[in-house]
Amino acid sequence: MTVTTPVLASTAARAESVSKHYGEGDAAVRALDDVSVSLQAGQFTAIMGPSGSGKSTLLHVLAGLDRPTSGQVYLGDTEITSLSDRKLTLLRRDQIGFIFQSFNLLPTLTAAENIELPMRIAGRRPDPLWVRSIVETVGLAERLGHRPAELSGGQQQRVAAARALASRPQVVFADEPTGALDSRSGAELLGFLRGAVRDLGQTVVMVTHDPVAAGYADRALFLADGSIVDEMTAPTADAVFDYMKQLGA
Amino acid sequence: MFKTTWRGMTAHKLRLVLTTSSIALGVAFLAGTLILTDTMKVAFDQLFGKVSSGTDAVVRQESAYDASSGISLSRAPIPASALDAVKQVDGVAAAEGAVSGYALLTDTHGKAVLTDGGAPTMGYSMPRDTALRGDIHLLSGHAPRGPHQVAIDASSAEGHDIPLGSQIKVLFRGPTETFTVVGTVGYGGEKDLGGTSAAYFDTATAQRVIGQPGMFDEIDVRAADGVSDATLAKRLDAAAPEGAEAVTGTQVAKEASDALNSQFEFLNIMFGAFAGIALFVGSFIIWNTFSMIVTQRSREIALLRAVGATRRQVNRSLLLEAGLLGVSASAVGVVLGAGVAKGLNAVMAVLGFSLPSTSLQVAPRTIWLSLLVGTAVTVFAAIVPARRATKVLPIEALRDSTPGARHPSRLRAALGTVLTGAGVFAILQGLYGGGGGTLVLLGIAGTLFGAITLSQLLARPLAGLIGSPLRWRGVQGDLARQNAMRNPRRTASTAAALMIGLTLVVSMSTFASSFKASIAPVLKNSTNAELYLTTASAQAAGYSPEASRIAATVPGVAAVSASGWGQARVAGSGAGYSSVDPATAERAFNLHLDAGSAKDLGTDGLMVTSKAAKANGWTIGDTVPVEFAATGTQQFTIRGIFDYNTVVESDYVISLAAQEANEGDRLDSTALILLDRGADADVVKDRITAALADHPDAKVLDQKGFEQEIGGFVDALLALVSAMLLLAVVIALLGIINTLALSVFERTRELGLLRAVGMTRGQVRSMVRWESVVISLIGATLGAGLGVGLGMALARSMKWYGVTELSVPTTQVLAYLVGAALAGVLAAVGPSRSAAKVDVLKAVVTD
Repeated sequence: MTVTTPVLASTAARAESVSKHYGEGDAAVRALDDVSVSLQAGQFTAIMGPSGSGKSTLLHVLAGLDRPTSGQVYLGDTEITSLSDRKLTLLRRDQIGFIFQSFNLLPTLTAAENIELPMRIAGRRPDPLWVRSIVETVGLAERLGHRPAELSGGQQQRVAAARALASRPQVVFADEPTGALDSRSGAELLGFLRGAVRDLGQTVVMVTHDPVAAGYADRALFLADGSIVDEMTAPTADAVFDYMKQLGA
Repeated sequence: MFKTTWRGMTAHKLRLVLTTSSIALGVAFLAGTLILTDTMKVAFDQLFGKVSSGTDAVVRQESAYDASSGISLSRAPIPASALDAVKQVDGVAAAEGAVSGYALLTDTHGKAVLTDGGAPTMGYSMPRDTALRGDIHLLSGHAPRGPHQVAIDASSAEGHDIPLGSQIKVLFRGPTETFTVVGTVGYGGEKDLGGTSAAYFDTATAQRVIGQPGMFDEIDVRAADGVSDATLAKRLDAAAPEGAEAVTGTQVAKEASDALNSQFEFLNIMFGAFAGIALFVGSFIIWNTFSMIVTQRSREIALLRAVGATRRQVNRSLLLEAGLLGVSASAVGVVLGAGVAKGLNAVMAVLGFSLPSTSLQVAPRTIWLSLLVGTAVTVFAAIVPARRATKVLPIEALRDSTPGARHPSRLRAALGTVLTGAGVFAILQGLYGGGGGTLVLLGIAGTLFGAITLSQLLARPLAGLIGSPLRWRGVQGDLARQNAMRNPRRTASTAAALMIGLTLVVSMSTFASSFKASIAPVLKNSTNAELYLTTASAQAAGYSPEASRIAATVPGVAAVSASGWGQARVAGSGAGYSSVDPATAERAFNLHLDAGSAKDLGTDGLMVTSKAAKANGWTIGDTVPVEFAATGTQQFTIRGIFDYNTVVESDYVISLAAQEANEGDRLDSTALILLDRGADADVVKDRITAALADHPDAKVLDQKGFEQEIGGFVDALLALVSAMLLLAVVIALLGIINTLALSVFERTRELGLLRAVGMTRGQVRSMVRWESVVISLIGATLGAGLGVGLGMALARSMKWYGVTELSVPTTQVLAYLVGAALAGVLAAVGPSRSAAKVDVLKAVVTD
């Protein structure tokens, strides 16, 4: 797989000397230990690492869902760790898309309503052409009127992905998006994310422990014990798998 | 199992507090009512015991009734000559004749000393023998002597600035007289006798102004040393003249206390009813709480079942939890009850029922009854949810599914429809099929329960409908509406509490509004009078007939037709009767006589309504026994049959003379004033007002004023009822808080998701707030609808009694709806805050 990283790639998000500690004294856990990382715009970045490596924490901190103990986080040019809860919420609403491992959708809303949710929260009218094109890309045109309970797990995650992209966010953060899916549904979702990056120039950051999922990315970062220990450009599933075996060993 | 139960209870503290309060409030009202009743009884017993402590025995005329019959007790006087015979009886140390009757004090400016809450205004003879006075003390000055001296109760003296030595007018049934105040009187530690205003005269003066010359109302006797009260009473009884009896002083005190207590009985019934309503509303919250507990714990219950707990054990564990909750909530309620009793006492003082002070009486009966009722209601309300718990299968422990909301069953729909239908049918049958008022009330109950049953089915569509304007409130409004529609059972039972409260308040308002709308047309139809004379204070028993006599002498007045009111047993059953002036009644009242004439009433004639005549099969000329307290059974002849009349306000009418003959102390309650042809009503009204300057116990009113006078009592009653029903609304609010808190807890992940994708805290709060408003409005709308319907049914059932019009108090109902919406906002304050504080990470991270 050949990936051309733009020479003058701008930075979509970056962390500077970010640490995150839980607890105090001897019992303190360092989930992130002085991590600095830049995520390029228009790239699909996978954050890899074994359980407890701090990869989810890094994602939460980058996405403004959690605040680091120290260090700065920038989304575009905005330093977000000092933002008020309200500003941070509006930032998430307008500039960030989310895909979680599960429970991405409000059970009372239809698929279409879920997709439009962030825009409706913002009081904005969704761009119908754009929404339709995304819906068609994820192959949900037939299921828009259904509620989450009437959709399969894969369909639910695709609705979540459509929602994350619908508001044209600066970055889409995905936290183990395929964790609860069978391999076929997982492949469909990843293919869709890949396509969004390639065709729409979307920036996607994904946390995963699955080397196959990482194989869809342009770049893989490896975390262990709260630090970035390595990275891989244009990773393949096999290469990642081998590397992970080393890390685990 | 006990440990599991205990852990479960303490796990959700807020829910525990809210559920406990909802039961505790109802129990507090129950306990408060019981405590107040007991306290009043003890206070009156003590007071009358002290007051009559100097009187060992009393000789008086026998009465047909005793104090417990609920009919006002009056006795014929006993001849003064009996006093000599009494003094001859062995063991009598002192004996004096006593007189009591209507006497209204005025202050130094001539204004009436009106008592509050309908307490009597009385005149008494002051015993010469100080021992006979018992605990009636002169606090200042000296006892009245001679024809121009009076001693008055210390409360009136202090409250109306009447100093010793001042000249005041005192109103009697006869002409008003002026007296010099020579003393103030206290009773034990009190300054008045349960709010009664009292004027004391020497015995001869009392006979002249409030009694009859040569007659006593009773003879009070003090025993010689070594003679017991009972022995003395027995000896006196043997010596008493025909028709008289002798009883002990203790007995008289007890009778007086009982009579006063029975006057306050309506308050106990009213407060008791509110306690019942509060507990009923509270039971919905208990039901809701236990449904939530079962839903939340279904995995836990399944696990218990999987490790071997039987259905019965699961059921028992939950009922035990309900029992524990009930007992502890009721215990809190009993403690609060003391405060409620004090509060009610304060409310009554404001309304003018001042009660003698004594320590609060918490009888063992109050404690066990309150605990029993509170616990029983709690356990009863938990039965259905506990049964549902037994249906949780062990396998559910292994499933990872949150139990969804079950949809209301068809059985419920059928049952609700049948109940409501039967209720409505019963109302209609009662109103138009001749079924009577009882059937209407049964129908109202049936409709209410039917509506409660159906509310689960109505909750969803109603939430959708009421919430539809929320679309304009953006996504949070839309989500609020959908959340309210999500679990119709929970929404319905939460709203039901508010529905009941609103149903009661609105039906009362509708009835009152219809009643008031009926006054003017009915009054026009009932009388030909242009002016009315009535009591100055709406609560007074009546005014001196002297005022009617004075009004009749005013130029421009053609006739004054006075009427009075009394109680007797007509044909064996207790009833109120009216008394009219036969000479003028037919001209003044529109009696719509079917047969006979009021002119023929005489002193043994009776007029009855066509309804009473029909019910008893009476016709003109039939003889009916009427039993009076003072004179016993008298045979009356039916001389007229008339239609119900709003001013007459009774099924039975006798002449004023007949009442005078059988009841003695008689007051006028209303007089209809007919004017000379061409006389100006306003001018004559002013003249009458001027003529009655010395009669502040009566006032003259024109048509409009009289309408307002009648309507005013309805307003006062309505205000009191509405204030009490607020309690039900407060409990309903606790239920809404409870439900919202649980919903927020259940929806943590959703809330987290919403926050993650950009919903601000303000938007989250607004979402919960709107959900609360929707739930409140569901209850309020159902309640208002039901209330209007039931209120109109109630009004219709009273058509015979002069509620001829139907009127819906639209503004008031709308105000209640707005109030309910605001209450919803208030209830959401806490839950919306905790919803906004949901930790986004905890909600979205799968662990």
